Amino acid sequence: MGGHLCFRMKITCIIVEDIQIAADFLRKFCEKSDLVEVKGHFLNVADALAFLDQEKVDLLFLDVEMPGATGFDLLDSLTYSPKIILTTSKTEYAFDAFQYHVNDYLKKPFTYKRFLEAMQKLQQQFQEAAAPTAQPAAPAPSLISDTDFLFIKADDKLVKIKKDDILFLESMRDYVKFVTPAKSYITYSTLKNMEEKLIGPIFIKVHRSYIVNINKIDDIRGNTIYLLGNQIPIGKGHKEEVAARLNIL
Amino acid sequence: MQKIRAPFVFDESLNASFLAELFDGDTLYAETVFEDFLKDLPVYWQRVEAAYDSKNLPVLGTSVHTCKTLFGYVGFTDLQELCQQFENKCSVNSADELRVDYIILIQRKEKAQHVIEKEYARLRQFNESNG
Repeated sequence: MGGHLCFRMKITCIIVEDIQIAADFLRKFCEKSDLVEVKGHFLNVADALAFLDQEKVDLLFLDVEMPGATGFDLLDSLTYSPKIILTTSKTEYAFDAFQYHVNDYLKKPFTYKRFLEAMQKLQQQFQEAAAPTAQPAAPAPSLISDTDFLFIKADDKLVKIKKDDILFLESMRDYVKFVTPAKSYITYSTLKNMEEKLIGPIFIKVHRSYIVNINKIDDIRGNTIYLLGNQIPIGKGHKEEVAARLNIL
Repeated sequence: MQKIRAPFVFDESLNASFLAELFDGDTLYAETVFEDFLKDLPVYWQRVEAAYDSKNLPVLGTSVHTCKTLFGYVGFTDLQELCQQFENKCSVNSADELRVDYIILIQRKEKAQHVIEKEYARLRQFNESNG
């Protein structure tokens, strides 16, 4: 493999790692590859989350075992879906990594060759995600939106869904699940992307992983929204907006 | 005539082939890493000692885990395995049961530290003599 891969622009990343030598190696590899711009290095989860509140990056190099909170705690707290590469010296986290849909898993210490392999894999994923937009005649990547309905790419076709029929949307990292009374559909996108397209009079984001259709809400008990047999949590950071939007007295 | 520079050969107790791939001939960076290792290890090891003394086994396991990672960057792959075994035992054994393993770990860590001190000195000398 050559020393450099071909990206249109550099991937932005942060390194979340409590061992300085490991972080230094990673930074050096990023610089050497000229593929990745390191926006910051954080020794713990809290500092990384504070940064991500202010600035979004494409990729997180994430250690698992750190003082205070683990890399998985950080993943639970993310409000968007960047690419994730776990960097750990334990192989035992492979199953958790799979569960969290991480993009790659680098066992420390790893060589530059292994780093480049991970970046090549990531490059493919970025290209696949960007591919539909490269087709000139094609509509929006995974969703065509109109005032009353939208089309999503699911089950190898464009499926028409009436906005009124949607109960809620659930984030599944690089995918979003659309739940309607009749059926659920999974499409390759992010909740953030859907949020931009759907948020309006009838949709509201109530949790980092959920957008719900206000018209479909049956009742709210404590921090849980009930709609047609489904229970959706209200996130701490969304309580005020939910109260305001739903005219809670 | 240009003088051919002989490559740096790491101590046989280290995983030389892995280090050769890791540093890819960059002996200046190897020197920096070995120096950082010697600076960082005592700090991390203090956490190991404090955790063992207070019989805080979860923290002991985590602290040994950190040292294990550090050992990997200077080529002590066998010591990494020993650390991993100790780490695993922290979740199933008592502090008293870990005593013998702990003593062995200390001995291996001190030996490793001594090897890295010598390697660091050799790397410095090598880099100085090669301009």
